[in-house]
Amino acid sequence: MSHSLHRYGSVENLKNDFCIYSRAARGINRENCGDKLRQILEIYLSSDVVNFGSSHSGKCYLAGLDVEEYAESLSNSYGIIATFADREAVLDVLKKMKKENLGISVVVSGLIEEVKSIAEEAGLQPHTALLSLGTFGRKKLLPEEEVLEIVTMCGHSLVGSRLVRSVLKKVQGGEMSAREGALELTRPCSCGIFNTERCQELIKKRPEQ
Amino acid sequence: MKISPEVCVSCLECIDFCPMNCIIEGDETVYIDQDECVECGVCLNTGVCQVDAIYRPEEVFVYPRAIRMQMSDPGAEHPDFKAWGRGTEEAKTNDVTGKFDHAEYGMLFEFGRPVTGTRLSEVQKVTTAVCNLGLEILKENPVFGLLEDKQAGLIKKEFLPEKVLSIILEIRFSADRLTEVVNEVLPLLDDVDTVVSVGLVTRFDSKGTLPVIKDLQDLNVHVRPNAKINVGLGRPLVK
Repeated sequence: MSHSLHRYGSVENLKNDFCIYSRAARGINRENCGDKLRQILEIYLSSDVVNFGSSHSGKCYLAGLDVEEYAESLSNSYGIIATFADREAVLDVLKKMKKENLGISVVVSGLIEEVKSIAEEAGLQPHTALLSLGTFGRKKLLPEEEVLEIVTMCGHSLVGSRLVRSVLKKVQGGEMSAREGALELTRPCSCGIFNTERCQELIKKRPEQ
Repeated sequence: MKISPEVCVSCLECIDFCPMNCIIEGDETVYIDQDECVECGVCLNTGVCQVDAIYRPEEVFVYPRAIRMQMSDPGAEHPDFKAWGRGTEEAKTNDVTGKFDHAEYGMLFEFGRPVTGTRLSEVQKVTTAVCNLGLEILKENPVFGLLEDKQAGLIKKEFLPEKVLSIILEIRFSADRLTEVVNEVLPLLDDVDTVVSVGLVTRFDSKGTLPVIKDLQDLNVHVRPNAKINVGLGRPLVK
């Protein structure tokens, strides 16, 4: 899945938007990887994580995922995803991962040059990249930019345009704060890659309609 | 997904949550347009209905409709790969699998994302063309399992009208075919009745750079500034 790859936005507003995937590979290091995933969860939790979850978790951390239950469920899982809004937090995670030497594959999504710089600082040599070549086809079907920047933060397209417009309208009308709006929008995204920090900033910077 | 008319109190709270905009306000209650519903389960999983009127009927689990939930609800396990999500690992574990070598590229076509959804008939427009060009559709990918003629790239007929939130076609080709793929395959996407987000998998070279970015720019393909990068922590490492 290309998931967090196609996050739409400017270099400026993507600067503090990172997802870290830890994934065990079938037939190689997936067998009994639960304890390692729990170690990774601890690293995430100790490093200023914004949000986390998994496809199978049903809901993400910010939508009420129970951390202890989730940690237990990792015995039957093979990956864990987390979102960060600060390069220092990502650097901290990578340094800890390197030190623990868990052998699980780790992928960081973010601005290419920023991720390369963080990896270098952590003493890591990037191996493979998945690049985004953008969106093709009937682009007339796409929503307006301010909506696109928010909906593409859900890697499975579960956060729809209508929900975004509804929340933006409520925030503008004073019915909810930018923070409350971001939390409302993260509800459909069980993987935890919806970056509520970036979402708040996008909502706040939205021009008055 | 369906909404029980006997239980629904028509509060309309669920309507905004549907990513396909297919929850419709009727005369007395709301209902779900079954042709447009992709069975993603957002209306149910978010718990937005306060009276539990939303439910997943038995027919959701019967083929061909079952393919909707398998591709659209990330919590549904994919039957071929015993994996959640849409079932492809792309480059996430390439440091230990070596799925993509230095002299190869992978290309991922994500149909229906963002926000539009797609009929599987639109995917077939590209699978047939890809097969005509002799390009390899990866087996470890949900689209491969839908093909009834793997040489011709034809999807099983019963699946063609089905709609999913998104689906990823994944191909692999030798690096010397990049120009051909860009010139022959990407223009095909202009003729599909949905949107397609495209990704390219490439290895870092020994200097830690990605030369393909310039190659793509020379072919007038814009590479976005953000990417997913495997930082090489997997063990045993494939060099």
